[in-house]
Order: sequence, then C-alpha cells, then structure tokens
Amino acid sequence: MFDQVALLGTGLINTFDPLNFSMILVGLVIGVLAGALPGITMLNAIVLVLPFTYLMGIVPSLLLMTSVYCGGVFGGSITGILFNIPGDPMNVPTTWEGYQLNKKGFVSKALGMAIMCSAIGGFLSALIMTFVSPPFAKVALSFSSCEYFSVVFLGLVSVVVIGTRSIGSALISLFIGMFLATVGMDEIYGAVRFTFGSRIMETGINFTTVLIGLFAIGEVLDQLSQKNKGEGEIIRTRPKTTLPTFGEIWALRNTILRGLGIGTVIGAIPGTGATVSSFVSYGVEKQVSKTPEKFGTGVWEGLAASETSINASTGGAMIPLLTLGIPGSGATAVMMGAFLLHGIQPGPLLFNKSPEAVYTIFVGMLVCNLIMILAGLITAKFFSELMRVPENILCAFIITFCFLGAFALRNDMADVWFMAIFGITGYFMRRYDLPIPPMILGIILGPLSERYFLTTMIGAANDFTIFFTRPVSACLIVISIGLLLMPFLRGLGKKGKKAQA
Amino acid sequence: MKQENFFKSLVGPLLIFLLAVYFYLLAGQIDAPPGPEQLGAAFWPKMMLIFLMVGCGIKAGEILIARRKAGAEAAPAGPLPEVNTPKLAAMIVMVIAGVFFMDIIGFPLSNFIFLLLFMRIAGLRKKLPLLLISVLGTVFLLYLFVKIVYLPLPKGQWFFDDMTIFLYRILHII
Repeated sequence: MFDQVALLGTGLINTFDPLNFSMILVGLVIGVLAGALPGITMLNAIVLVLPFTYLMGIVPSLLLMTSVYCGGVFGGSITGILFNIPGDPMNVPTTWEGYQLNKKGFVSKALGMAIMCSAIGGFLSALIMTFVSPPFAKVALSFSSCEYFSVVFLGLVSVVVIGTRSIGSALISLFIGMFLATVGMDEIYGAVRFTFGSRIMETGINFTTVLIGLFAIGEVLDQLSQKNKGEGEIIRTRPKTTLPTFGEIWALRNTILRGLGIGTVIGAIPGTGATVSSFVSYGVEKQVSKTPEKFGTGVWEGLAASETSINASTGGAMIPLLTLGIPGSGATAVMMGAFLLHGIQPGPLLFNKSPEAVYTIFVGMLVCNLIMILAGLITAKFFSELMRVPENILCAFIITFCFLGAFALRNDMADVWFMAIFGITGYFMRRYDLPIPPMILGIILGPLSERYFLTTMIGAANDFTIFFTRPVSACLIVISIGLLLMPFLRGLGKKGKKAQA
Repeated sequence: MKQENFFKSLVGPLLIFLLAVYFYLLAGQIDAPPGPEQLGAAFWPKMMLIFLMVGCGIKAGEILIARRKAGAEAAPAGPLPEVNTPKLAAMIVMVIAGVFFMDIIGFPLSNFIFLLLFMRIAGLRKKLPLLLISVLGTVFLLYLFVKIVYLPLPKGQWFFDDMTIFLYRILHII
C-alpha cells in the first residue's frame, strides 16, 4: 500500500511535467473534436497521433493517446445533443435523451450534465483501475464467448426499454436491424449471405453508415419538409453550457453509480467496450426507473447513465491491457502498439519493470478526466456557435458532413450510397412510426451476438443449456429475463392496485 | 379505429412478414452447408427472420387489440406535421444526385453544386450568400479533409479528375 502511494506520488509529479501535461491538453482537444465530427472517430484520431509518438518517450506518448481516447469517447455526445448526430455508436443513447432535452429548451444543462457525468465516470473508473486492476483482470479473463453473449443479450434486452409505445414495432425494427447485420461475408463460416452477387455487398453494411443516415439525413429531411415552418428560419439561440449544481448531481447519484459500475465492468471485458456499456446502462436505468415511460422524451437519468458508463469504460478497458497485455478494443490495441514501439511489453511484468510509467498513466487518466470538463466546455462552446447558423445552411452542411463521414469509413462510395438510402428510409420510418433506435441497436449488437452465440455453440457441441450452466452467464441471463419481465410485472401491479381501489 | 384505418395499419406488418418469408427461403440457398455438429451460416439469419415474423405477429395483435379497445389508451400519438411534398421530393433527389455525381465529377465540384442547390431548395434566396457559402464551404472542407485528415476524396472521372487535381494545386492542397 505504501509503495502504491509512493508510486502515485511519482506519477503525479511526472504528469505535471510540462511536456506530459501539454500532451494531455493537446490529446483532449484532438479527442473531443474528433469524437464530435461524424466520420472521424476516436480510433481514427488515436491512429493519427500514433506517428507523432515515435519521437517521444513512452510516458508522454501514452498520455497523449490516453487523453485522445478519453476525450474521443465523450466528444460524440456534443453533436448528438446539439444536432441529433451521434459522433459514434456509443453516443446513441445519449442522443436519444440529449436531443429531446435540447428540443425542450434544456440544451445548456444537457451539455453541462453530459460533460460532468463523463468526467465523473472517467475519473472514478480511473481510480478503480488504479487500485483493483490485477484482481479485476483475472475475473475478466475467465469470461468466454458464452459470457460475452450473455452481456450482449443484456444489451439487446434494452429494446424493451426503447419500444415504449409498441413492443411489436420495436421488435420489428430490432430484427430488421439484426437481419441487415447478417448481409455480407459471414465471420464464422466464411459464407456470402444476401449479397445478390454484388461484390460491394460482400463487405457488409457498416453500422456507422446506417447510424449517420437514419439519424442525420432523416432528421434534416423531416425538419425541412414541414409545412408550418418558416422558410429560411434562423435559429437565433446560442446555448451556453451550464454545468449542473452539486445538488443536481447528488440527485442523480444512484444513476451515476450504476453507470460507473456497468461501464467499468463491461469496459474490462475484452471485445465489448463503451458501445455495449452505454446501451446496457441506459436499459438498466429505464428498468429501475419509476417513470420508464418518460425515457426517450428527454430524461436526465437516461443521459447521465449513458454518459457515465461510456467514460467509465475507458478505465475498465485499460485494465486488461496493462495487467494482462490484452487489448480489449481498437483504441487499446493501438495503444498496445505504442507500448511495443517503445520496447515495452504490457502485462503482469509491466508492474515490476516500469511501475513509474504505469502509475503515471493512472494519474494521467485521473487528471485527464478532470481537465476534460474544461476541454468539453470549450468544444461545446465552439459547436454551440453553429446553432446560430440559419437552418437551411446548417442542414446543407450536415448532409455534406454525412457524405464525408460515410466515405471516410473505408474510402468507399458504396458506404455513401448505403448512408443515403438509410437516410431516406429513416425519414419514412419517422413518418410511419417505426422506431429507429431498435434498428440501430440490432445493427450494432447483431454481429457481436451472432459471433459469440455461434462460437459458444461450436465449443459446446450445440448444447444450448451452456448459457445456464456457467454461473456468470446464468446470472446475466436471469438479470436480462428479469428486466424483460419487469414492465409486465409493473403493469400487473398497477392493475392489482386499481382493482383494490 | 375505423375499418379503413384498421386495414391500412395492417399493410405494413403484412408486407414486412412477406419479405421476411422471402428472405427465409433465400437463406436456405446460402452456399455453405453446415458440417457435422455445426449450425451453419444460414442459422443466425434464419433465426432473426423467424423473430421478425413473430414481431410482425405481435404488431398485428396490437393493432387488433387497439381496434377492440378503440379508446384513448390505444390511440396513436398526436398528428404528424404537414409535409411540403414537392420540397421533400426535391431534397431526396438532391441527396441521391449528390452521391451519384460525387463519384463522376469529383467531390469539389459536386459539393459546390450540392450546397448551392440544396440551400436554395431549403429556402435561402439571396444569390451572393448562396454562392459565397458554397464556394467557401467547399474550400474549407477540402482543406480539412484532404490537407489535414489526408482523406482521398473522389476526384471524378475523365477530365474531371484533371480538373480536381488542378484545383488542389491552385489551393496548395497537394
């Protein structure tokens, strides 16, 4: 314990070294900006800064990449709240609530709440990472594809959450999304599915193209085609970002703690990460809420749960990387590359060979999440300025950014076509009351659930009971079933009370 | 719920159900027969399609229940805002044309024309701002994505390719 405190002290001194500290600042700004711009993901930003780290030492390199990572996972929430365009799939649940809060006139508070919850989630998960890394990593390593499937299943259960008005419509939308995710080359057997002989279709439908199209293009068409709106209407309001008070944060303490727990645990499981954790956290929050029917209409709990878990997953994701040398996501894989470039092998020996570097990363992440409040405020202010731009100009540029965002994914025009088609589909889904979020959920989690399910079946000789015989998996499945049944049980409870009255 | 509305609302789930059946049959033709003790490549999409059919059934059930109740509880949400159909059609055509021409005439020219026409359709009437925003917006995007992010945006085909390179040189992008 004494050694740990001494190492933390060394880490603190190293972090405030001018070069290291400036790397944190630069990384945060790059990360938040990259996360906020659709098409430039946090992973792109980490890859872009990687060449600059060749000339640096290991500590500033890793602090730069870590801060890009922390800033990047938050950045997408800004455009989600302001323009209904999530920068990354992980920001989708934030967008559901944040954009509705914006429409209600709470845009300043929504931005502030997102920044604070992200900072709290990231800071506390970094703190957890500092003290419980090794035992945590051992538990995460014991997970197999069976447990992974159960975690993803828990994420899919949130469809019940999303389908507030009609379970039937939500299920249709979800399974269309999960079916679309099967188009292209199958990962397990290598078979080509539903491509109709087209080579373009073989690579499958990238979920980001669907995401950008359904949300952004659909929204633009919907906004501009309404008859009662004045043509060339100018949005004059310029939202300032207002940080929430201590009382407002305290009121959401249980939500934040749940988001923190879910984000850290799911983040520590290799292969899952921030996207799954934000969906699961949002889903759990709605199920435990006393007013679940209000979710999707602009609810603070939904926004806080999603934001906290996204940034909490950053601390979690660093645990298997540092303690076991296993990168759990694309971002941590690039970071592992940076370690190796500098001749350091992440893993258990890292704590013995380079303890000062490890603890500088720990402290760096803590500091990074605190400074993120400032970086978030600056970036949110920059993007808020765009709210003053006339709607017709803003919408034209949103569509152009969508074209660029889709093209940037694989430098392929096919993705731009998919994005445009899904954009137009998104408009008609809005008009005909088919909910969009379940389809997004299906496209994002569909491939993961298929991979883990089929891998489990191959390992278990098609014995479906394996999901119930492994303790962790069984617990997760039971929780999922409980969450699924909760709305029905709640309905029965209400009926019972009415009958008694 | 009126008889006419009732049948109208059943059309959507029925169409999706029929499409799901079609794709289910198509999944049977996936050219990768499962090996011994393997579920095969068609298993997962087939399962999703069965669930989709069940979803359609649940939706049809909901519509039937709504018809029986016909009360406030089952009433759909408030009326959607009226749509300017010609404007909507023009915007959809612009989105499709924007993607189509990006590959043929290159991003710089197609984006300039797209911005100009889309903002005009969306209601911006003044000619000078239209022109300036389209030109400056395109130049800004070129600098951001080609010069800074190194994104190889489509240059176009035939002489449009040379024209785009010429433009990049003038702007000192390459």
